[in-house]
Amino acid sequence: MHNFGYSEEGRVGSVGDARIWRRILGYCRGHLVGLAGAVVLSLVVTVAALGLPRLMQLGIDHYIVIDTLSGAERIAGLGRVAVQYGFLVGVIFLATFWQVVVLEWLGQSIMQRLRQDLFAHLLTLDLRYFHNQPAGRLVTRLTNDIQNMHEMFTSVMVTLFNDGLKLAGIFWFLFLMNGRLALVMAVFIPLAVLVTLVFSRFAREQFRAIRSQMAKINSFLAESLAGVGVIQSFGGQERSSQTHSGLTQEYLRRSFGQIKVFGAFMPLTELMSSAAIALIIWYGGGEVIRRHLTIGELAAFLSYMRLFFQPLRELSQKYSIVQSAMASAERIFQTLDTHSAMTVVEPEQTGRQMTTAGAIEFRGVCFGYEPGHLILREIDLAVAPGETVALVGSTGAGKSTLISLLVRFYDPLAGTVSIDGQDVRQIPLKILRQRVGIIMQDIFIMPDTVRANIILDQHQDEDRLAGILQQTGLQAFIGRLPQGLDTRIGEGALNLSLGEKQLLSFVRALYRDPAILVLDEATASIDTESENMLEQAIEAGFHGRASLVIAHRLSTIRRADRIVVMDQGRIVEQGTHEELMGRESLYRGLVRLDTPGENGNICREAAV
Amino acid sequence: MTASPAGTEPRHASGDGQEATLGSLLRLLRPVFRSHWLRLACGFLALIAVDLLQLIIPRFVKSAVDGLSSGTATSSMLLTLSLYVLVVAVLVAVLRFVWRYLIIGFSRILEKKLRDRLFDHILRMDQPFFERWTIGDLMAHASNDLATVQMACGMGLVAAVDALVMSSAALGFMLAINVKLTLIALLPMPILIVCTRILSGRLHYRFNLVQEQFSSLTEFARANLVSIRLIKAYTLERFQEGRFQALGEAYVQSNLKVAAIQGLLFPLATLVGNVGMLLLLYYGGALVIDGQITIGSFVAFVSYLYMLIWPMMAVGWVANLAQRGITSLRRVHLLLEQQPVVSTGPTQEVPRAATTTYACRQLSFTYPAAVRPALTRLNLEIGPGLVGMAGRTGSGKSTLCKLLLRMYPVADGMLYFRGMDVNRLSQTGIRQCIAYVGQEPVVFADTIAANIALGRPEATLAEIETAARAAAIDADILGFADGYQSIIGERGVKLSGGQRQRLALARALLCDRPLLIIDDALSAIDVETEQQVLQGILATLQGKSVLLISHRVNILRHADRIVLLDEGRIVDEGRHEDLLGNLFYRVMAEKQQNHA
Repeated sequence: MHNFGYSEEGRVGSVGDARIWRRILGYCRGHLVGLAGAVVLSLVVTVAALGLPRLMQLGIDHYIVIDTLSGAERIAGLGRVAVQYGFLVGVIFLATFWQVVVLEWLGQSIMQRLRQDLFAHLLTLDLRYFHNQPAGRLVTRLTNDIQNMHEMFTSVMVTLFNDGLKLAGIFWFLFLMNGRLALVMAVFIPLAVLVTLVFSRFAREQFRAIRSQMAKINSFLAESLAGVGVIQSFGGQERSSQTHSGLTQEYLRRSFGQIKVFGAFMPLTELMSSAAIALIIWYGGGEVIRRHLTIGELAAFLSYMRLFFQPLRELSQKYSIVQSAMASAERIFQTLDTHSAMTVVEPEQTGRQMTTAGAIEFRGVCFGYEPGHLILREIDLAVAPGETVALVGSTGAGKSTLISLLVRFYDPLAGTVSIDGQDVRQIPLKILRQRVGIIMQDIFIMPDTVRANIILDQHQDEDRLAGILQQTGLQAFIGRLPQGLDTRIGEGALNLSLGEKQLLSFVRALYRDPAILVLDEATASIDTESENMLEQAIEAGFHGRASLVIAHRLSTIRRADRIVVMDQGRIVEQGTHEELMGRESLYRGLVRLDTPGENGNICREAAV
Repeated sequence: MTASPAGTEPRHASGDGQEATLGSLLRLLRPVFRSHWLRLACGFLALIAVDLLQLIIPRFVKSAVDGLSSGTATSSMLLTLSLYVLVVAVLVAVLRFVWRYLIIGFSRILEKKLRDRLFDHILRMDQPFFERWTIGDLMAHASNDLATVQMACGMGLVAAVDALVMSSAALGFMLAINVKLTLIALLPMPILIVCTRILSGRLHYRFNLVQEQFSSLTEFARANLVSIRLIKAYTLERFQEGRFQALGEAYVQSNLKVAAIQGLLFPLATLVGNVGMLLLLYYGGALVIDGQITIGSFVAFVSYLYMLIWPMMAVGWVANLAQRGITSLRRVHLLLEQQPVVSTGPTQEVPRAATTTYACRQLSFTYPAAVRPALTRLNLEIGPGLVGMAGRTGSGKSTLCKLLLRMYPVADGMLYFRGMDVNRLSQTGIRQCIAYVGQEPVVFADTIAANIALGRPEATLAEIETAARAAAIDADILGFADGYQSIIGERGVKLSGGQRQRLALARALLCDRPLLIIDDALSAIDVETEQQVLQGILATLQGKSVLLISHRVNILRHADRIVLLDEGRIVDEGRHEDLLGNLFYRVMAEKQQNHA
């Protein structure tokens, strides 16, 4: 999935935050051996790489330019140096290979653990948390933020080990050869650091500007593609085309800004490298004349200088990666530190399997998502085992919220919700939600077969499944699918209609054999065939179960043992259809309003 | 959306007979190259100048070292040489800025031109095109393929020229010093080129796999977080954790495979360079000992060999970039080659007429990818007046709308607009006569006023308000903080399904076109507003034609004629009262009226 540049880049993590580093290190604890291995490999690579120019210098100084030895001796000596050189070359290659692999393995394993922890943690958070968090942002935590950290792990750790060591090593060698010249060269270090710090700030701003513009172009494109039919039939091509061109023009302008920044800074390192060469020729050459330095050492200085600037550049480029990784780490840990506000009872604590008859009771229940704004006020409602209760009322009356409290998506602010006399807060969530089967308007479909989508994490039992289908008459629904239960659905496969989704949801709930059944009837119109099947299934499924239905269809409502009319968070009327129609009631008003209409919807919700 | 990964086999290329030749691909880019030739020429001149200037620096080093070893060097000579180095270095830095600005800038201009062209082209396409390419595909093409082409024409071109100049110059100097030594030092280079080519191809393939897995990981997480209520309601937390873990582990495995290739590829250039250096040390050293070359030449030779490592690495990279650039360009080219299939022959303007009729004569239609026909021998006369239409899902109602809107091609003699075969009329001309409200209301991230005025950008605010009132959305709009200037979308106001439908209706009403088609677009509007909206539609009906698809008997009963569709055929036709004898219609009507 493309992110198209949608990610928060507003903040930059502070690289020096010790708490974050400690937590990152905590995740590394299980991989100490691997880490040690990576460090050792780094050392090997660095030492070997630094050994090469040294050998070259030895070859020149001891054999190539020494006239005192005979030609044959010089060549034999050179041969020995060459063999050592070749050995180091091989070592570098192998060690680098293993270093790349080991670091990737480390980074990936650590990130996999972090990602898994984060995902598992997100699933434990209560719905209150998800209220304020767009799903897209949470996905970014799991993908982009983790990716950022991984990038730091692999590329930055390599750089930190290799280049840091290399820089130190080079400096040490230089110092050994000629202390003063080495100190003169040291001037370039703070200079290079300064240049890169300034550059990385500029570059980050440019990148952000470009990416946000690209995101605009992409969302405009997506929108235009989705509405291309409308654009064409209303003749809006010309206008869309102009808008698009304006967006790309701005993108071009910002790209040029980036090109300028890069164009100004990229040659600077090269420039410094050349300046260093000039310095070596002038000052180092003088040292040779003054006989403080051999020619071989001068050549070695020149080679090391080349090696010197490359890690300096690498290190500074990695600085921005570390910054964004720290920002990501901070966000990830923040999420991990958010805890569910609900107290959860562990299954062990109850010790016994709950047998549920299915009596529901709401007593004095008050609830609101935000303080000072109550959605439910003083709800008292009892549903006896086997009874079917239809909840009726306009949008915002609090019907869905009532159901959310029953399965403990939220806890009430006041009052209690209990099943068979036991407060739902005392029942382990897993058991509670197993006992209460919910059929919602939307449905979660995994890309898999219909059968897998019904069974999910339950034990597979074909007979039971067949029994349920038989009993509810839903084998007709399965029969309509091209390969029956084995039909693949979900992304890239068959798309179910709204009605079919509700049917599937129904089977799924019944397969879990809940003692209590909760149905949130679809508001939108579903096809007649599905509707007929659903009516039949409801008839069978509700039999013998305590049921709560958020009802929209008159047929469902009339089938209920009791109708509960809600308005603005209160229960205002209760009774059977006939009772309520028999007197001046809000219910009668609702039915009247709907009577000239069709579809049998007691209250249409979508228009709000 | 799932983007089809770039770089995999072009999914659609195979279906189109012959592949586009390289020549025709390059013709795509030629206009941009031509109009910016001066920019490019200057850029490459700067690039070549940089390369040549860089080659001079080792010459200065060589004279310094030679001077020192022969004892002729003086401090003033060393100072002069180092100043030369500095001057050249500054010049190089300036020229580098110049080529970057000119050449990379060019590639960005090219990208913009291509992007605009692609966008304009896609807007011209009809439905068969959008069936072949999903939104996801097109988005992927627009973002990945254009970026790849830009890379190839920017950095790719730079690297190619750079590598060519650098390597030939370095080679030239090396050859000038000693031919045999040059050949020996270069012995391992071909291995580098071959290995890089092979490995980077594998890497690319593996990398695509990783991208795909990353997509499914992301999609899985997204789907779970979006449906968190359902996950919790069914206590699927553990179950989904397990599935997420499996996806994550597969992703890790693929990444490790990528790392293994990268682990070979990265140190390869160093390896080959070092081996060359080893050969140079031994044989070159021997030559110095032999007195065949000076020690200064030897040191300069080392510098030149270092200089060759980069171009050698670059060759593999450039080849890969070029290959991917061509693949991407081929996909873009294929898109640009597509032509709308709805109107092929010569067309004429739509005749003027007081009333508008649209007639279907034995209209049959099968979707390009389907086996069963969606419409079978349909005979229908639309207009003037209000024609109602009903039928269950999949009965062909929306298909008919799409055909009327000329989104799919139809055979001759099946559709007559104002008495003329539609295939002889201009597609745009017909569309300009139709105001259409689709099943899924489309709104754009723009102001509400602009959304309503989509078909008539020049409409005054008063006209827009009138249309909004007719569609009963006026009060809703005034309820928003910025009224008609409120922006719709993620950052702005969110509209409910019913509001979107009424907005789409207002858009159609504003256009005031002779034929109004409403495809089940009132379904999310509540009962009270429905009648109001219907009055709004009926008020504009004078002398016009309306095709109104709906399931609501209350709406349909206003129609002059109701057509019932089933499995692509007309099964019944008549006024509301006549149709009560039809089983389907009666059941529908009863269902909607049986209460109370």
